[in-house]
Amino acid sequence: MQQLIQTILGIVVAVGVSALLFVGANKWADQALVSWRRFAALSWALGGAVFGVVLVGNRLVAWRPAGDGGPDLTWLLPPLLGVLFGLWGWLGTEREGAGRVLWWAGGGVVLGLIVGVFARSATFPAMRIVPLVAWPAAIGLLWGGWNAVRGRRFLPGAVSGATVGWLAGAFGVPTLGGGTRLEAMMGWALLVGGVGLRIGIGSPFGVEERRRLVERARTVIFLAPALGFIGWALVFPTIRTVYMSFLDRRAERWVGLANYQRTFTDPTIFKVEGWPEIFRSELFYWSVGLALVGLIAGRLLGRQSGRAFEVGGLSVTPLAASVFLFAFAAFSKLRGTIFNNLWWIFTVTILATGLGLAIAVLADRARFESVAKSIIFMPMAISFVGAGIIWRFMYIARPPDRTQTGVLNALWVWLGRVSHSNGRYVAALLLGVALAALLYVAWRGYQAGSNSLAIGSLVTAAPVVWLIYRFLGPGIGGFQTMPDGTIAPATVLFLQEIPFNNVWLMVPFIWIYVGFCMVIFSAAIKGVPSDLIEAAKVDGATEAQTFWRVVVPQIAPTIGVVVTTLIVVVAKVFDIVKVMTNGNFDTQVLANEMWQRAFTELDFGLGSALAVLIFVAVLPIMYLNIRRMQKEAL
Amino acid sequence: MATMTRVEKLAVAGRTMGVGGRLYRILSAVPTWVLWGLVVIWSLPTFTVLVNSFRTADAQRAVAWWNDFGGYTLENYAEVLGSGVTGGMAQALLNSFSIAIPATIIPIAIAAFAAYAFAWMDFKGREWWFIGTVSLLAVPLQTALIPLLTMFSRGGRWTLPFFEKTVTLFPDVDLAGDLTSVWLAHTGFALPFAIFLLHNYISGLPKDVFESAYIDGADHYTIFWRLVVPLSVPVLAAFAIFQFLWTWNDYLIALTFIGGNREALPATVAIASLAGEFGLREHLLTAGAFVQAFVPIIVFFALQRYFVRGILAGSVKG
Repeated sequence: MQQLIQTILGIVVAVGVSALLFVGANKWADQALVSWRRFAALSWALGGAVFGVVLVGNRLVAWRPAGDGGPDLTWLLPPLLGVLFGLWGWLGTEREGAGRVLWWAGGGVVLGLIVGVFARSATFPAMRIVPLVAWPAAIGLLWGGWNAVRGRRFLPGAVSGATVGWLAGAFGVPTLGGGTRLEAMMGWALLVGGVGLRIGIGSPFGVEERRRLVERARTVIFLAPALGFIGWALVFPTIRTVYMSFLDRRAERWVGLANYQRTFTDPTIFKVEGWPEIFRSELFYWSVGLALVGLIAGRLLGRQSGRAFEVGGLSVTPLAASVFLFAFAAFSKLRGTIFNNLWWIFTVTILATGLGLAIAVLADRARFESVAKSIIFMPMAISFVGAGIIWRFMYIARPPDRTQTGVLNALWVWLGRVSHSNGRYVAALLLGVALAALLYVAWRGYQAGSNSLAIGSLVTAAPVVWLIYRFLGPGIGGFQTMPDGTIAPATVLFLQEIPFNNVWLMVPFIWIYVGFCMVIFSAAIKGVPSDLIEAAKVDGATEAQTFWRVVVPQIAPTIGVVVTTLIVVVAKVFDIVKVMTNGNFDTQVLANEMWQRAFTELDFGLGSALAVLIFVAVLPIMYLNIRRMQKEAL
Repeated sequence: MATMTRVEKLAVAGRTMGVGGRLYRILSAVPTWVLWGLVVIWSLPTFTVLVNSFRTADAQRAVAWWNDFGGYTLENYAEVLGSGVTGGMAQALLNSFSIAIPATIIPIAIAAFAAYAFAWMDFKGREWWFIGTVSLLAVPLQTALIPLLTMFSRGGRWTLPFFEKTVTLFPDVDLAGDLTSVWLAHTGFALPFAIFLLHNYISGLPKDVFESAYIDGADHYTIFWRLVVPLSVPVLAAFAIFQFLWTWNDYLIALTFIGGNREALPATVAIASLAGEFGLREHLLTAGAFVQAFVPIIVFFALQRYFVRGILAGSVKG
């Protein structure tokens, strides 16, 4: 209960303070046009307070009036400086001429002396004359000269430059803590005095300048919170991570490319020895076969429609399947974290996009469309952790001699049992009927002159033939032949059997993201102008031709957006792997590897290098996004 | 045209021939059947776990749920919510709310200001600032984790090169393990997408509304509160749902920044650690998964319209 109250209080305070800051900042900007003097005083007070916070935060000043044993009043310094700076600005704004220069420069020196009074002895600079003169002179000349080159006045630039140079010469170069209070006071006095002098020699703001300042301030007020947050939480840490990837495990010593070298020589992360195996695997032969089918189908259909190659379901599907199988052949032989991650990106992106598009098309012509879509979309609301857990129950494997309580293994074992009982004849008979129907459709299609219907049915018939063969011949499903010749059930250990357990881990991810793709594609398909489709139909295009030649080109930009979004999401997959296998059994991915190295083994260097690898994987996408936005902006 | 005659032939074959006509009718019903078959497959995993969550540990282990009806019980839920073995899902749910609500509200406000500025304020390099901000959408948050965690636990310091002086950029306030650290991280990571989404909508508001308000002497601040916020309620709602689901379901950020503080862990981390002992407590995991997913599923079904609108606004444009 107490925690509840504390939480609510925290929320209210966080939201309230942020709102107050924003509203306050806008009211502050309003003041510039109402009363310039009040505005200036407020701004200077704010600036003084921030200056004080920076001083205190860096432990440059302290205030213990009663000595070391007395109370620590350091916290009073920011408000004190706020009040003093506020007065300085309040009384200085409307001065002109020599009085202006005197007030600002003199006031600055006095304020600097006050800061010097509170300076901690550990910050007293041991000043040396050469840097003290050389730095202000050099930067002052540079800055003033730069101003002169650009056709502006020399003096203001020189004063600004000299002030910055003084900061470097008085506090940057010398050892801190070796000097005297006098030196500290002189350092601060000339620093704040320099700032004052720069304002003193400038002319007071005119009405037009004030208006422009308010505009500028308003923009900053609207943008600063967002850009500040992004810079603090994304940009700066990313740069730092890149830098840390060149440091040792405790982020102290520069080690060059050693972390990357370790990454690419560690066989659990990067292992390519198995590559000749790719070309000996069964998957590879299937891939070559499907490629041939796709090419021949495309050529045959192309001859019919008078093209060199027909782009359609019958040519694209086998070709896509061929590429897919080749990738599986490759990724199952090239092992290690990096290849697992690439396998994830490849498989999930293609399957989720493809399935999403297919379901969107199906739903477009099915009944109860919205209910069905809503159910398929629902996993989007479930966390990756939850999805991982839910799918572990699908994958449960009990000991083979016991009842299987997981759906997949139960089905698999049941299939094995059927294919070794008289049930296999029933199955073969049913499949035979289906085969006959498909052959009939193919024949009708051939008669009606529709090659696509004919080839499509024949291609679909091929796996049916294979299934009949498996049922009547060697059997199918989860079974094993014991040494004594009897048949016993066998289960699939979905999460442990290397390397295809990786694919089973991808299933929950696909399960979640198909809905996402479907919703987007559904909207895009409905957005294709109906007169385009009508026109295609009038010209005699079949449904399939309309889809491939009208709908797909129309939604191509959307497909691009979906694919890029998916790649970005999949590249950093973490939760599912962490919850389901924690990277064991050769299922490690970069994000989990990075987490373990950085936060379990506390090797920040290697962790950063792995994070950088994920970053590199999405860099092309970033580039594409930027190009697309540029085009839209023009 | 050759294609014309073929299609006509096929259509004629479909309509006139007895068997062909019936075949055609069967084939035209195929999409519905396939779609609903997919719906069954898609809901099977959730359904399995839902049914199992009402069954005792022994029943779950010995008999498959489709062979065992009756004997349903709320035991698993009682055990998961109580403070027994799991350290209390009730507490974890409360923590999830404490994380998700502020981590939703704060970025909405901040992003709305920025989106308005990018859409309707004039300043130098506006296009480039916007593209730069939104391109950060793709940055994987893994690249920010290590420096952010160090900053939260040890503060941020920078040693100036050449001068060898160390400057404090972020004080050691020891936020690691505190909910505040998660709010801040979520806000930072959400902003690029939030700005992108809100900008798409706000920049599409009718221009003359702004112009007439400007002529009437309203400044950006007034226009923002009086015009833009009321007109943008749909997109603000869409983003809110998005961000709420994302923060509620987040695991990585919570685990990294408050992993050490058992009191403050959200529900995702709680069920994930339950999953770590899969063999022992898998019967509780079913109920745990549902307790965690209950809130987002309710939000999802109640506000699906806004959620879909948000997804579409973020992707279909262009």
